[in-house]
Formats: sequence, structure tokens, C-alpha cells
Amino acid sequence: MKRFGQILLIGLLVVGISGVAFGQGSPTLDKIKNSGVFTLGVRNGSPPFSFINKQNERAGFSNDLAELVHKAIEKKLGKSIKLEMKETSPSTRIPLLTSQAVDLITETMTDTRARRESVDFSLTFFATGAQFIVKKGSPIKGSQDIAGKRIGTQQGSTNERVLREKYSKAELVTFPDQAAAFMALQQGKVDAYCNDGIQLWGLKYKSGNPDQWEVVGDYISYEPYGMAMRKNDSDFRGVVNAALMEAMEGGEYFKVYEKWFGPKSDVPYPMTPDVKAFLLYQVVPK
Amino acid sequence: MFGLFGLSYEFRWSVLWVEPHLTWLLNGLSTTLRLAAISWVIAVLLGIIFGAMRTASFRPVRAIATVYVEFFRNVPLLVWLFFWYFGAPEVFPEVIKQWFIHHGIEFWSGVAAISIYHGARLSEVIRSGIQAIPKTQLEAGLSTGLSLIETYRLILIPVALRLIVPPATNESLNLLKNTSLAMTIGVAELTFATRQIETYTAKAVEALTAAALIYLVLCLTISTIMNKIEKKYAIPGLIVRGTGAEH
Repeated sequence: MKRFGQILLIGLLVVGISGVAFGQGSPTLDKIKNSGVFTLGVRNGSPPFSFINKQNERAGFSNDLAELVHKAIEKKLGKSIKLEMKETSPSTRIPLLTSQAVDLITETMTDTRARRESVDFSLTFFATGAQFIVKKGSPIKGSQDIAGKRIGTQQGSTNERVLREKYSKAELVTFPDQAAAFMALQQGKVDAYCNDGIQLWGLKYKSGNPDQWEVVGDYISYEPYGMAMRKNDSDFRGVVNAALMEAMEGGEYFKVYEKWFGPKSDVPYPMTPDVKAFLLYQVVPK
Repeated sequence: MFGLFGLSYEFRWSVLWVEPHLTWLLNGLSTTLRLAAISWVIAVLLGIIFGAMRTASFRPVRAIATVYVEFFRNVPLLVWLFFWYFGAPEVFPEVIKQWFIHHGIEFWSGVAAISIYHGARLSEVIRSGIQAIPKTQLEAGLSTGLSLIETYRLILIPVALRLIVPPATNESLNLLKNTSLAMTIGVAELTFATRQIETYTAKAVEALTAAALIYLVLCLTISTIMNKIEKKYAIPGLIVRGTGAEH
């Protein structure tokens, strides 16, 4: 028993010292180093950012970027780290993060000031805005037509909040996930489904008959996507941001973009010069 | 600032009563109560009808009731909710479907799923109540000139309902709590409202505590009322509770 106590003490000391040497007080990096596991919060139904593909594997633009962060963490800690992915949803992701069940949320989470009160965000890695998806030929052509109409939303999303606050004449029907909301749209139980424009494009292409669906309207909100992490862990945040900056600077980010949004991808979504400039302006000098 | 688990969590209970959160909570509570009350009435009616049919001596009647009970109680309620919302309305003619869509289809699909599911479960409770009554009562009823239906309506069911108050209370509480599943088909009930507050404020502990306390108060109220009903309608000599063993 005494011996066990000594081993435990030495173990704690080693962990403590390495924590000082590497983490400099970063609870998340310490946790990853000690457990050897980096846990990502992902989605199974948000193509092309984070979803389960036809081969039944987790894939997506956000997942690929997270892979770059994973490599940066391994480099920083000097050891190989296992990457684990856990399913999240808009309403579960912040609790999962604060309870330490996941270390980083990388899917389609909009960076907002309200959310910054509970979590910290990385640099913006994608920017879009809320639009509507409707059956082709629908009278709804944008937010001006939604008064009195049944509009599907996802609980806990920023779009739902914008609709509730700015378009109170629309009748909101709120579902726990995208699959249920889109099913309701397909069956005509809602007249339109509101989500971030790019996600609606993803949904349209994944639906099997893309010609039947239209993404309509001007952006009714600004949705900058960031990776979310626990608050007040600036060293970990530094690693995540440095990985994103290096990927943007070195061009790796744009290769990943091309893979998911390029002309040959399922969801062609050319990057506007504005967005490209915005992304690059976030990269501070070395 | 860092608590026991190295986590900082600042409680902010006011998220529960600042507007619009309070309105969401009250609307959610009202939807839960309406959903539970309407579903409960239908479930009790279905329970009585099918529970009585399960005890019938005519085999086809018994068979119909058995099919209903086994079919509906052996599939999870969540599956029934999806069925009644995404499945069933599709087979109705377009006119009827459109009418429902514009008259609260989420709510009524929830009522259908919950009442039919719990009706099946309640009918088992009611069957056990009827079967606990000695067969001589049925025979006595028939011999006084009452028809079979009248014997059930005037003698067996009133007695059975008194016998089954404790298990029926249990089922009623389950029904009330199960209404929370209706949020999966877009019914903005109480759990939905608390999740909504949670996602707007990230104050999970406060929101979920509110949900837990409200359900607790509702359930305690129901069991108190049922207890009173049981005492008030008890038949002396037949159902005696809490007075010790009789010799």
C-alpha cells in the first residue's frame, strides 16, 4: 500500500511538472496530454460541414479542419494523440463542452456575443447567413413572404432566434434536429425551413433530387462559424488559432475548401473575394 | 472562481423569470397541461372500453382488444410520436391533411400518440380491476335483469375503477411525464421551453432544475388528488387502506 502511494505521488509529480512545462496552466491541453485523447464535438447530419457520408464514415469540411488542429496539438504536446468524435446538437453542445465531455466543437456553430459568455471561439473559419429552403415553385421567395407561414427551424440555432425576434409574424415550428425539420418540409407540414444558407445548399444536394428544392432569399443574419472551446483557456485557444492561421497562410485551408465546396464537389459554393480577404486578414504575422 | 471540479459555473436563477423566458415557461406549462389533460381523458375512455372488452366472454371481442393492447403498448412511445406525426397524416386525403396542418398538427399528433399508447397501458390496469371482482357479481347483475352492457356499466366498471386507483395514478403520472417526448415533433411544451431557455442563456442547471421542480409539483398534486378520490369513493368493506389488517 505504501509503495502504491509512493508511485501515485511520483506519478502526480510527473504529471504536475509536465503540466507546467507544456500546458502552462492550460486545463484542456493537460487533459488531452494526460488522457492521450482529443475529443471533438461533431454532427451526423450537417453536410458538407460535419456529417456521416455514404460510406458510413464521419466526414466534412469542419472535420477536416479539426484534423489540422489535431496535428497541431500532437506537435505541441510532442506525442501521438487519439482523435475521438462525439455527436452533438445545437442544444447539447455547450453543456457537453463545459462538462468536459468534448474538448472542441467543430461543426457549424455560429460565433455570437451571447455564446461568448459561456464559451470561447476560434477565428472565423466560414461565413454564411440564414436563408430558406422551399419546394420549387413555392410562393416564398425570401423573408418578406413568411408572415403567417409555417417555418421550420432547429431548436437552439441562431436562425431560430433571429426569426423569433425579427419575424414574429411567422409561425415557427421547432425541431430538435435537421433531419426532422427537413422531413416536415418534404411532407408539406412546414412551408419553408430556415437555416444557414450553406447548410441548406448541403441539404439540397444530399436530398437525392436537388432539382426539387430551392434555396431562396437574402441573408437575414450573419453567421460566422467558429470552433468553440471552454472559456479562459488561452493557451489551448492559441494552439487552435495558430493551426487555422497556418492552414490559411499555407493554403491548406483552401485545399480543404476546394474539396468540399469546389466546382467538382457535391455542394459547389465558390468563395467570394470578400470572404477570402476577410479570412486572410484574420491571419496575424508570425 | 474555480469550483470543486475545476469548472467555473456562475448561477443566474433570474434567467427563469426575465422576459421572454417567463412567457415561454408559462406557455410551455399550459401546453403540457392541455396535452396531458386531453390525452388522459381519451386514454381513460380507451382504457375502460378495451379493458372491459378484454374480460368479455365472446372471443372475437377479446381478440380485438388484445390486438389493440399488445400492438400499442409494445412499441416505444417515441416511435409512436414519429408515426403519428410523420407517418399517419400522409395517408389522409390532402384536404384533411391541410386542415390539420393549419390547426396544430404537432399538438394533435402528440395527443393521438400519447392517448392511444397510454390507453393500451391503462386498459390492462382496468382489466385487472374487473377481474379482481368476484364472478358472482356479474352473475348477480345478469340475474336481476340487467343486460350484459348494463352490468358492466353499472356494477363492474364502477367497482373496478375504485379498485385500481393506485396503479391508475401511476399510469397517469407516467402519461404526464411522457408528454415531454412531444418536443421531438415540434410541440412547444414545458421541457421544450426549458431547453429553449438553456440554449439562449447556456444556463443548463437553472433551466433543468426548473423543469424538474415543475414536473415534481405537478405529479405531487395529481397523486394528492388521486389519494383524496380513492378515500372518498372507497367502498366500505371492499377496499380498506391504512387501517391495519382486519380479522
